[in-house]
Amino acid sequence: MATPLILGEALALGLASGPACMASCGPVLVPSLLAERAGLRLNAGFLSAFLGARFLGYLLFAAVAWGLGVLLVLPQAQRLLLFGVVHVLLAGVLLWYAYAAGHTCAQSCAHSELVRISVTKKRGLPGAAALGFLTGVSLCPPFVAAGVRAAGLGSVAAALLFFAVFFVGTSIWFVPFVGLGCVARNEAVTTVARMAMVLIALYYAYLGFVMLMGRRVHGY
Amino acid sequence: MATKARVLKPAAMPPRSIGRSLLLTLPIAVWSLLMFANPQRHLIRSEKVASLITAVFMIALFFLMMRTGSTYRWRRFFFVALGVLFPVGFIHTVMVMRGTMGIPIEEMIAGRTPFCYLPIPLLILPAAFTKSLVFPGSLLPGGGMSGAGMAAMAGMWLAITLVVGKGWCSYACFFGGIEEGMAAVRPRAKLRKIDPRWRYGPWAVLLAMVLLSLALFEPAYCMWLCPFKAVSEYVAARNTVGMVQNGIFVVLFAGLVIALPLLTKKRTQCAFFCPFGAFQSIFNKTSAFDVKIDRARCSPCVLCKTACPTMSLTDESIARGETLMSCMKCGACVDVCPKQAVVWHIKGTEVACKPERARLMFLYAAWAMAVMFGGTVIAGGLATILHVFV
Amino acid sequence: MKLRAILGYSAAGVTILVTLLVPFFLMGQFAKGFASLGLHVDEVYSGGPKARTIQSAGYSIDIHRPVFPHMLQTEKPFVQLDWRPVSALPAHVSETVDVDGDGQPDIRVSFDVPENPKTPLRVNVVALNWKYQSMENVSKEKYSRLIVRVDDAIIVRVPLARP
Repeated sequence: MATPLILGEALALGLASGPACMASCGPVLVPSLLAERAGLRLNAGFLSAFLGARFLGYLLFAAVAWGLGVLLVLPQAQRLLLFGVVHVLLAGVLLWYAYAAGHTCAQSCAHSELVRISVTKKRGLPGAAALGFLTGVSLCPPFVAAGVRAAGLGSVAAALLFFAVFFVGTSIWFVPFVGLGCVARNEAVTTVARMAMVLIALYYAYLGFVMLMGRRVHGY
Repeated sequence: MATKARVLKPAAMPPRSIGRSLLLTLPIAVWSLLMFANPQRHLIRSEKVASLITAVFMIALFFLMMRTGSTYRWRRFFFVALGVLFPVGFIHTVMVMRGTMGIPIEEMIAGRTPFCYLPIPLLILPAAFTKSLVFPGSLLPGGGMSGAGMAAMAGMWLAITLVVGKGWCSYACFFGGIEEGMAAVRPRAKLRKIDPRWRYGPWAVLLAMVLLSLALFEPAYCMWLCPFKAVSEYVAARNTVGMVQNGIFVVLFAGLVIALPLLTKKRTQCAFFCPFGAFQSIFNKTSAFDVKIDRARCSPCVLCKTACPTMSLTDESIARGETLMSCMKCGACVDVCPKQAVVWHIKGTEVACKPERARLMFLYAAWAMAVMFGGTVIAGGLATILHVFV
Repeated sequence: MKLRAILGYSAAGVTILVTLLVPFFLMGQFAKGFASLGLHVDEVYSGGPKARTIQSAGYSIDIHRPVFPHMLQTEKPFVQLDWRPVSALPAHVSETVDVDGDGQPDIRVSFDVPENPKTPLRVNVVALNWKYQSMENVSKEKYSRLIVRVDDAIIVRVPLARP
């Protein structure tokens, strides 16, 4: 059973791993937040959707891997295939997001506030969730560290609880990203964000294709 | 850039007298003497001759700036010379030291990778989080090819930036001159319609590279995108990824530094790509000097907008009477304006109130830095060539 | 307005003054400032600080502290060992090394030492301790697995096994 001591350990591990999580999610999160409309509430909503979906990604991966008993011993070829697909999908979502952000503004900028909000919502929250989920199932070192510890616990429920608390610890580091809502949004900021997303998407696409070709990169 | 005829015929400003021009040039002459005639530097003959030629060159250019009242044309001579001679000196040095432009892993482990200023913005966040510099150089003197070390280069960058702000891109950068030279080749631009949103490119590259450098803990721009590896050095490819990385910089150099400046007469790499330039733009906010437009005199004929090599003037900014944050203070717009409406300016003072005073103060500072930094590089490249003959 | 102009001219004057100080004072001071920030070159490049030295017949083996890369760096954790001076090494080096200093041999390292310093090196490492990874006929694959000659030392980096 997960005792308070173990949960405390999960929280501490999460807090310690937070900078690494921030660094690994930063290339996806920062440009997509900047491409959204300004406002602390809007950005907080986007961030919540991102983190929520990332959490689901964590739990899903952990549950499946625990159930299969393969969290750490997934054969390299399958591991590369899985994460190659994830990275290519991530690149695809980023490219779609970059395109949709510009397309939305072109269409809705002359429209009423109501129309603009609903158009933004169509892209914003599902996009945030997709990006969050895909970053969640990418095996980053902090996730591995938590997985190693959780694998030593008695049951899948205990392991999932460990992951949940670990996740809370890492997510505290993401709160400052809400501050990006204070950055004024104009053509310059949104264009920069969209261009940055394209560049980052190209990099993730490269990572994905290299992994699909069976080559190991970046600790995978 | 506007046509040659328009560049050569700005508003009629009578040339300054030779005597007065010489007097105004005197401080720069003294400065050049101090920079190049340092008795502590033990120079061989070719280096002495190169230093003399460079000093005369820089003094002559400044004299011409004073005499004609034009800045851009003469500054461009210096800048193109810098862009051409830096690779001459640098590549010669690496070939002598290791026989190849490719940096082998041994050199990186030994901490002997020369540090240039381009990765500075990428190193900040990783250093803030972990106190590690993600660059295979040496921090202290004794390291790096020049022996200066990363701390010395960073110190030089900061000192010069405090003086010139984004004027670095016109008076210090030893890569921009290549594009400036290519942009000057054709009399007219072949591609004239450029979407102004490309101006945001450098900021996007900066954002992406800073985030990826933190995520991957490596200087992402240097590894993947820097086109100037073509005229300096690059990581020797040990595998397919390395070959892809090297292929990318060759394509970027050919496109952004050679072909597009030739076709557009703009500094396309600087205007649409360079993340360091975007970073330097921040320091335009701290600089005491800028370029303004006297709206009372302005037509607007928008010749300045056409002349600007980095598209730092738009219809909106001209209406506001100012340049954009990306202005590199090259002087092209000032020189081309037929009404003398575009002027050098000291922040806080009235626009067009004693613009020549503002110009002089800025040029003394900027040219002094150009002599100190760029002049040394030019002399080094020249010495490499002269060594064959002298 | 006049105050702003005075401030503006003052800033411009300070800029000229700063210009004069750059080569004679400021550059050096800023360089010292950067050097005193407590920064260091990332250990993936530098190999980490030296932990201890083993003296052998005419040469020494410097053992560095293990390097654990940051964040999502490509590299695996590794430990660097330096054999120096190269001139004192035999034509073929094959020996066990106690890396962690517990008195037990941890790895067996073997490599040839060619006379020509430009000849590529190859190393075989047999892990006698689960903490380290074996390497077979490795040259300079990546920062965490390599053998190179740097000046008067032969450097071997042995990757650490996963915990």
